[in-house]
Amino acid sequence: MTTASATPPAPAEWTLPSRGRVGMACLILTESAFFAIFIAAHLFYIGKSLNPPYARDVLELPVLNTICLLSSSITITLALRALRRGAVGTFSWLWLATILLGLEFLIGTGLEWYGLIYRDGLTIDTNLLGTTFYSLVGFHAAHVTLGLLMLSGTLLFVVLGWAGERDVERIDVLSWYWHFVDAIWVVVLTVVYVIV
Amino acid sequence: MTAIDGSVLPAEAAARTSFWIRAHEWATTVDHKRLGLLYISSGLVFFLIAGLEASAIRAQLAFANNDLIGPNTFNRLMTVHGTTMVFFVGMPIFFGFGNYLIPLMIGARDLAFPRLNAFGYWLFLFGGLLFYFSWIGGDGLYGTGTAPDVGWFAYSPLTSPAFSPGNSTDYWILGIMVAGFGSTATALNFVATILCMRCPGMTLGKMPLFVWMMLVNGFLVLVALTPLTAAQVMLLFDRFLDSHFFDTQAGGSAVLWQHFFWVFGHPEVYILILPAFAVASEVTPVFSRKPIFGYEIMVAATTGIGFISLGVWAHHMFTVGLSGPVNTFFTASTMAIAVPTGIKIFNWLGTMWGGRIRLRMPMLWVCAFLFEFVIAGLTGVMLAVVPFDWQLSDSYFVVAHFHFVLIGGLLYNIFAGIYYWFPKATGKMLSERLGRWHFWVFVAGFNVTFGTMHFQGLLGMPRRIYTYDPGRGWDLLNLITSLGVILQAIGILFFLVNVLWSLRRGEDAGQDPWDAWTLEWSTTSPPPAYNFEKIPVVQSRRPLWDLKHPNDPDWRYE
Amino acid sequence: MAAEREAKHAGEGGIELPSPTPWPLLAAFGMTLGFAGLVTHPIVSMVGGVCFLFGGVGWWREVLPVAHEIEVPLAAPARRARLVEPVPETVDHLELGEGGHRMRLPTHVFPLSAGIRGGIAGGIAMAALAELYGLLVHQSLWYPVNLLSAAAIPSLANASTEQLAQFSTEGLLVGVIVHVLFSLLVGLLYAVMLPMFPRHPAILGGIVAPLLWTGLLWTSLGVINPALNERIAWGWFAASQLAFGLAAGFVVSKMERIATLQSAAFAIRAGLELQYDEEGKE
Repeated sequence: MTTASATPPAPAEWTLPSRGRVGMACLILTESAFFAIFIAAHLFYIGKSLNPPYARDVLELPVLNTICLLSSSITITLALRALRRGAVGTFSWLWLATILLGLEFLIGTGLEWYGLIYRDGLTIDTNLLGTTFYSLVGFHAAHVTLGLLMLSGTLLFVVLGWAGERDVERIDVLSWYWHFVDAIWVVVLTVVYVIV
Repeated sequence: MTAIDGSVLPAEAAARTSFWIRAHEWATTVDHKRLGLLYISSGLVFFLIAGLEASAIRAQLAFANNDLIGPNTFNRLMTVHGTTMVFFVGMPIFFGFGNYLIPLMIGARDLAFPRLNAFGYWLFLFGGLLFYFSWIGGDGLYGTGTAPDVGWFAYSPLTSPAFSPGNSTDYWILGIMVAGFGSTATALNFVATILCMRCPGMTLGKMPLFVWMMLVNGFLVLVALTPLTAAQVMLLFDRFLDSHFFDTQAGGSAVLWQHFFWVFGHPEVYILILPAFAVASEVTPVFSRKPIFGYEIMVAATTGIGFISLGVWAHHMFTVGLSGPVNTFFTASTMAIAVPTGIKIFNWLGTMWGGRIRLRMPMLWVCAFLFEFVIAGLTGVMLAVVPFDWQLSDSYFVVAHFHFVLIGGLLYNIFAGIYYWFPKATGKMLSERLGRWHFWVFVAGFNVTFGTMHFQGLLGMPRRIYTYDPGRGWDLLNLITSLGVILQAIGILFFLVNVLWSLRRGEDAGQDPWDAWTLEWSTTSPPPAYNFEKIPVVQSRRPLWDLKHPNDPDWRYE
Repeated sequence: MAAEREAKHAGEGGIELPSPTPWPLLAAFGMTLGFAGLVTHPIVSMVGGVCFLFGGVGWWREVLPVAHEIEVPLAAPARRARLVEPVPETVDHLELGEGGHRMRLPTHVFPLSAGIRGGIAGGIAMAALAELYGLLVHQSLWYPVNLLSAAAIPSLANASTEQLAQFSTEGLLVGVIVHVLFSLLVGLLYAVMLPMFPRHPAILGGIVAPLLWTGLLWTSLGVINPALNERIAWGWFAASQLAFGLAAGFVVSKMERIATLQSAAFAIRAGLELQYDEEGKE
């Protein structure tokens, strides 16, 4: 480019955020909006069911499930630290632990639902509690399931040697999704089980 | 001979390229330019269809006690017209503009996620086709199904299984839901592209305003569209699984649907209009030969609009019986959002003032937009006043208001954008003569139809009625309103002829027919598949001005 | 990474772009069919699910572990973009404005005092014509004053003509306040706006503007305040507004413009220096 006057220097460093991270952040933003509506519906309908079963009678704080899910956030963080160090073996074990903890959460939720449906007679069409409870907790569990599928796929690829230390950025982005799922659970827990 | 993406085809190869090969190219493309053109053309096809639906509505309403179209069909026409225009015309056309222009304007080769881009387009198209399939499919229970007939906003409890048996409402839900996934994907793509793929030197403060507005728009889509999906899922559960989200019999609230819908619905209209503002912000400076007045304030106002738009939704619900304080809050927030919008209008005027205005087609459309949009804004502020709204809610005054916004604001800028960037995308100029016929006939018809419509509303004519009694003072007004449609149709005809004729016989555009300043004008028309041979480096908001005027470059002043 | 790839390809034969792929289309189709089965037949959903699976797996393999790309050759040299060239014209320079930015027009404006004086002149002219109307038509000096205050005091608008022709303290006070306030404000508006009109400020300010605002009032007052609307003699009203416009416009435009201090040094703009000549330079 020819110019008659001095050009300012071209930028020495030109770094922009990574597309994967921004994309995942956008996904988290939009999913949060999605959950917000279900949470709003649940909050709005607290105490408004016209017939039993009522929340304070049948809902119990799912302590074990919560501990497992929240611990899985810790194990996934540790796993990624291991991977950055290059300790693929440690990573794999911690990653497996994350998956198992998440699996426990799903199984625990399933058991809880079994009890609610067959013992307490609460289904999605029973009353307002059933409607909002199953949809909110159900969508969260669906997100957990999707997350577990992605985590398992990742573990498979790492174990088979198709993915490794060089993919740490991508796997980190995936862990953001998992943290998001955990964070949503904290909100769901508060709204469904604590505020009753 | 050049293919539309700039790749060169020797004459014999071009002749041999069969229809199927070319169809395969378009079906498997991940090129943002091709997808952009697909979005725009599909959107325009839906526009014509929805226009025919509107013409049928106006034909029915031209005379009192008309029996051209029965009530059930009328409800379907009215619902499908509105839904199509919002979800299958307005949004896709501007996604198309964004698709085509964002990478070119920021000096990138494609969007951040090209395959996701394709996914988003096909979801939109298939969603629209699913929606339109309802006209022929979906016999539903008791034969009462087929096309949606519950209004574009599908209020409960009309949409409950009891009052809408059959699948009409389900088509409304599913068509929009599928297309909505596509929109969310595209918005994600836009945000990631704008934040992560700008060329060296292009800080956020040096992006074209078009890109800024698409960025804010992208965020708005991400935040506002999934609430609609959530509400639609709730409705789907109500209809298929017997849940009680909006079931008053079980203690639920039908008004809750309205809240959820309008939490989406109001940001949606800003999602529709922000890209229109983006086009105006690009056209006005170039045709006034001045940089945009108050770039920073425009960005601030756009961001302000984005945020405030999330807090005005209940002004669609003033007649529902919300409490006084709630109504007052939403009146205040609605008036507040008029402020940044007004600031933008003044900034465009400030850009034009003192400039050397070239009244070519894009600028004509922008000038008309400014005029019509101010009227629309004024009627909007009138409607924000609760007692006024109590008289005029659900009347044709509201219909007139939002058509002024959507046609005067949205469609005029679509036309401005097409006249402005058609040369870039095709290498041919659109005809100015045909363009002027298009402009004047359409604008005349629009004002005849929708200007008059305000008065029917003021005289009490409700919305969504398929006919009315004579002698209420509405007869002549409705006839005039309907006659205006003929002019608009002729205007559109001029437009179509212009596009088709110019594609073949238009004047060669060259690289930079408008003497503009943003990066898309530094490539060929049409651009090659890779956009730029070398990724550009920019120093100011008007990189081409700097190149054309090295003795007075912008970076000295910014 | 992208920069390295760019460096690799600069000047070479081709540029790498993501390769075309049918999998997103198939996935989208499958997703649509999956939902469509809800309103048609379950088998449609099953077909949709299969399509979505195939599409999804195909897409996955397209992107991981390494995204598939094709090399697109550069266009023939004759068809490549031309470098943007400097144009032969030079640009007219104003001095640099505030903070090194471009000057904002107008560079010279009227001082506030011009607006005040214009407002006073216009106010006198308008009042003169209004009083003329009062004397000729109603034989009363107080009628126009009371009518003006009727805009602010609705009860006055319903008073009879005889009552309005009488002296009223309240009417006089309110009328004078309203008159002075608006005259000054519009005068100031003239001072601000007239420099912005490049041509014929006298016609625009003196004739067009008063007629415009009179017309606006004439069309809308019937809706806003019908009682008041009945009593206004619009011909006289327009004449009095024209008088205002011509007088205020004349006075304002005869005043001397002063420079906006955009290109003055900061010290001057901050008022630290007490003496500077008209150009705003030290």
